[in-house]
Amino acid sequence: MSVDRRDFIKILGAGAAGLVVGAVLGWATKPSEVQEITRTVTVTTPGVVERRLPKATVKIGVLGIRSGLWSTYGEFIEQGARLATEEINARGGILGSRVELVFRDEQADVVKQARELVDVENVDFIVGIDSSGNALRVGGIVDELGKIVIVTHAATHRLTEELVFKEGKKLIFRSSVPVYQDGILAAYIAKDLPVRKWAGINGDYEFGRVSWELFTKTLKTLRPDVEFVTAHWPKFGTEDFTPFISALLASDAEALHTSIWAIELVTLQRQLTAMGGYKKFKAVISTLGYSMDVVYALGAGYPTAELGTWVSARYMWLYPPTKINREFVDRFKARWGRLPAYSAETTYSAIYMLKAALENAVSLDPDAVVKALEGLVILTPAGVRWIRPEDHQAVYETPYGRITHKGAEVPLLEDLKAVPAMLYYRHPPFT
Amino acid sequence: MDLTSFLVQALIGLYKGSLYWILALGLVLIFGVVRVINFAHAAFYVTGSYLMYTFYTYTSNFIVSLIIAMIITGALGAIVEITIIRRVYKLETIYQLLATFGVALIANEAQKLIWGKGVVYISIPETLSRGVNLGGITINYYMALIVVTGLLLFIATIVFMNYTITGLRTRAVWRDPVMSEALGINTRLIYTLVFFTGTALAGLGGALTVPLISVGPGLADYLIVTAFIIVVIAGLGSITGAYIVAILVGVFSSILVLIVPELDIVILYIIAALILLFRPHGLFGER
Repeated sequence: MSVDRRDFIKILGAGAAGLVVGAVLGWATKPSEVQEITRTVTVTTPGVVERRLPKATVKIGVLGIRSGLWSTYGEFIEQGARLATEEINARGGILGSRVELVFRDEQADVVKQARELVDVENVDFIVGIDSSGNALRVGGIVDELGKIVIVTHAATHRLTEELVFKEGKKLIFRSSVPVYQDGILAAYIAKDLPVRKWAGINGDYEFGRVSWELFTKTLKTLRPDVEFVTAHWPKFGTEDFTPFISALLASDAEALHTSIWAIELVTLQRQLTAMGGYKKFKAVISTLGYSMDVVYALGAGYPTAELGTWVSARYMWLYPPTKINREFVDRFKARWGRLPAYSAETTYSAIYMLKAALENAVSLDPDAVVKALEGLVILTPAGVRWIRPEDHQAVYETPYGRITHKGAEVPLLEDLKAVPAMLYYRHPPFT
Repeated sequence: MDLTSFLVQALIGLYKGSLYWILALGLVLIFGVVRVINFAHAAFYVTGSYLMYTFYTYTSNFIVSLIIAMIITGALGAIVEITIIRRVYKLETIYQLLATFGVALIANEAQKLIWGKGVVYISIPETLSRGVNLGGITINYYMALIVVTGLLLFIATIVFMNYTITGLRTRAVWRDPVMSEALGINTRLIYTLVFFTGTALAGLGGALTVPLISVGPGLADYLIVTAFIIVVIAGLGSITGAYIVAILVGVFSSILVLIVPELDIVILYIIAALILLFRPHGLFGER
């Protein structure tokens, strides 16, 4: 136990140090235009050569799931994109050019939608994309599209590791943390929990499989004494988890890992509670358990395990406790009536990433903007984001915390554990 | 793997099978009598869930909400039959598929407009949320209620079809609509009545499941697949067959989750494909 505690303190210390160093580095190295996103202004000084983009309107195509069971996620993307655009336009646009958004449903043949955004709508950039499969499809034709695509939700590591780093598709970027958070970071949380036998329930598709694989591999390295006793793989669109839950409960696992998300996670948590899962499992790690649709849906009924229901998301409104984040949350709530979901923030920040890059490049030429985006350090609501030049992946921190009920509008988190992003991100050359 | 785990898994399968049955029953009735493959069936099921959510939220009365949700869903079904489906009876099957698919799309969008895109559900009524503990797994009374309801619905349907005059007329229309009409049976009324009953049953199923699963726009897209698999394996139009197959599929797939987690649902598709290949009219269907 003492080793675990030391490790725990080390991680916390490293986390805190990482945050401080990250923040200081971020402040020191970021371009002056993005020092404080919320105060970014475009000033035209008489006598100075005007820095202007070649078009009066910068068009951004926004892809998200806008139909079916996961359409809430397209709405989150839209909310983030709209808020950022309204703010930017209210302050004079990007170097004097107005920003305009064009929305498309990625469920309606994403390749066709992406092509139409470029060929018919003449967009300059594309942001969004919820599904990993769709991200890879658009990624596959990105050179034909000839436009920068910033993915703001899809989590497959293959997008940045394979398409960008190995295949050199330089037009792809991602503002959201990939599956490292669901697998590797979750293992850093699990290693400090006094349990040895783990079970998993993850989606029977790439994201679910990779989450579990990264989780088990990392945790076994960090804690060689752990055992993985059973793993279950419900298909995408499972409306009832009862047979999986009874099979999980029949095992001798002490804790559960899941990357099930959205409406499926709401059902899973409710059925797990109803069938006695929270009496059996001492700890539950739910990698997307603090996605706001789930948090609002479960509300005061969000179950808590003896050693904690540990949840995370690709951004959580209560972290980091910075001024820029607080102000973002307030503005978001005022605009949309709810706390921001993670993909709202990742899309909001993607548009500010573009703004910062355009203000540096003073050009809409994709190559010039790619150069400006590579290595960009930008202060966003989620914290300091560094766009890693090799794989175009935004590197930033998102913690895990234990669900707690304190009578607030939504369940809150306690014992927030932040691990330095450099520890749980995979690094080039990704071997 | 001990015997208790196996038994629990079979019981869970019985509950799952009963859910499948309630979903498939209306589909079988409508196909049998009206001869329309109703692609909108699951959309009516989800409508029942949403209506249950709304009425239960306002009244907190489970039984009353259940009945209202069932009747309104049935009434919506009857309206759809009178205004849309009736016009495509004599056309090729493809028009019927397109018409019902169109209804499903409209229903999905309407649900989004009325209830939003978020997740909705209600809690299991207090008395039914308790249950029996078997090897650390709680099987609550609500699950038992689903099994009993499924069985009662099966018995009621068989009794209605075989021992009532309306049932007799319905069977007559099922067998030979032209001859039935010649004998003075109002087939148009029977069609509307069956569509009302079929969609009301879908509404009942949806209303019953909202305390157990979570409902969102588009849920029907996933449910309809399972319903069709059951009906394909059983044979379109076979009520007893659908009940037996639904229960077998529920129990079988549930046990598979325990012993071969990698297979579970895949096996269903394989069985459906084999049945289509070697017995296209289904296990219990008539040639």
